[in-house]
Amino acid sequence: MANDSINVKLEIPFPTNRLAQIVYDVLKVDQEPKRSGVKKELSVSENILKVKFVSSLARQSRVAVNSFFESLNLIVETIDFIGEPTSEEYTHF
Amino acid sequence: MVVAIGFEGSANKLGIGIVVDGTVLSNCRRTYITPPGEGFLPKETAQHHRDNIITVLREALANAKICTSDIDVVCYTKGPGMGAPLQSTAIVARTVAQLWNKPLIGVNHCIGHIEMGRLITGAKNPTVLYVSGGNTQVIAYSRKRYRIFGETIDIAIGNCLDRFARVLKLSNAPSPGYNIEQMAKKGNKFIQLPYCVKGMDVSFSGILSYLEEKVPKLLAEGYTPEDLCFSLQENLFAMLVETTERALAHCNSQEVLIVGGVGCNERLQEMMGQMCEERGAKLFATDERFCIDNGVMIAHAGAEMFRSGCKMKWEDCFITQRYRTDEVETTWRDD
Repeated sequence: MANDSINVKLEIPFPTNRLAQIVYDVLKVDQEPKRSGVKKELSVSENILKVKFVSSLARQSRVAVNSFFESLNLIVETIDFIGEPTSEEYTHF
Repeated sequence: MVVAIGFEGSANKLGIGIVVDGTVLSNCRRTYITPPGEGFLPKETAQHHRDNIITVLREALANAKICTSDIDVVCYTKGPGMGAPLQSTAIVARTVAQLWNKPLIGVNHCIGHIEMGRLITGAKNPTVLYVSGGNTQVIAYSRKRYRIFGETIDIAIGNCLDRFARVLKLSNAPSPGYNIEQMAKKGNKFIQLPYCVKGMDVSFSGILSYLEEKVPKLLAEGYTPEDLCFSLQENLFAMLVETTERALAHCNSQEVLIVGGVGCNERLQEMMGQMCEERGAKLFATDERFCIDNGVMIAHAGAEMFRSGCKMKWEDCFITQRYRTDEVETTWRDD
């Protein structure tokens, strides 16, 4: 199979831009494992978190997408428990 | 006053703790326990942490009886440890830091153990023996770093004990090491085992292989599993006491602090205590609440870093499986 032939694009809507931004900031810190063979690109526009996976094997994409959803799920659970963000932006960079 | 919350999840323990200036407000923990004969693997351990972390967080916040707006800093284990469990725990720490708009600090796990040990025992400038499932190091402080004087050149002592427990099919609850310790109390026939001290370093994997191979034969010869546990413990701990004593002599130190999960082994504490007594030194050790991985140690070490002005860029709040004790500048110590 040709290189980088598998493309997966996901769009995840959130109630607000701030929440989408938080999820983006939390996720962007972790790099994909070096040997995963997957390139992951994250971005935010308005209240939508966008993510693109590029790999040469379906198996690699599946692993990356599964792992992405596990992390996403954990963040959403945490937000559900903690509640709304207390500030308009994060001020401790 | 610094209020800190700490998230720890570098191995099979998931812990969240809250401290105010060295006073523990809450210390909650869950342990992922595998069936006898099996060890814990990264994927399943991470799943355990994800399944339990919200419950533990709820418990930690409720026990602490504080308002979340009073928290000054969120701390998490940056490494060393297993990648997937570290990442799951860090994700939650990052999310709460964002939601509460609080600074986030990544803490070296080994530093967490040392600072927690110093806090609980009151040891000022001890030579530290850090023994756990993933690490075995003899550490002393010098010029703004915790320096490693000796360490294992292959597997950690806790790993050696855990894997030997698997050979005997001992239970992993509450921990394999605890069960070996209990069995060792009933053993009395000592079996000569390889003794592997190489300079200041120690090696355990050869001892484990030797035993793994010999166990059926030894049992057939009339040695009991209790005798094997007894012999293994005596042999391994003697190696640790030897290297620690040498570090102690080199640093001219009068204090020994034992930290890490294996540190709650009372036989190890007893042997180290004898050595200290002969040298006129003092031994400091803690019990299982603070020896075994916990969130409080991360919170406390993070609070010390925070107090000394340490800040971490958001991009630097990643996790790393390899993170040596001497990589961290101890900005909070000025001796």
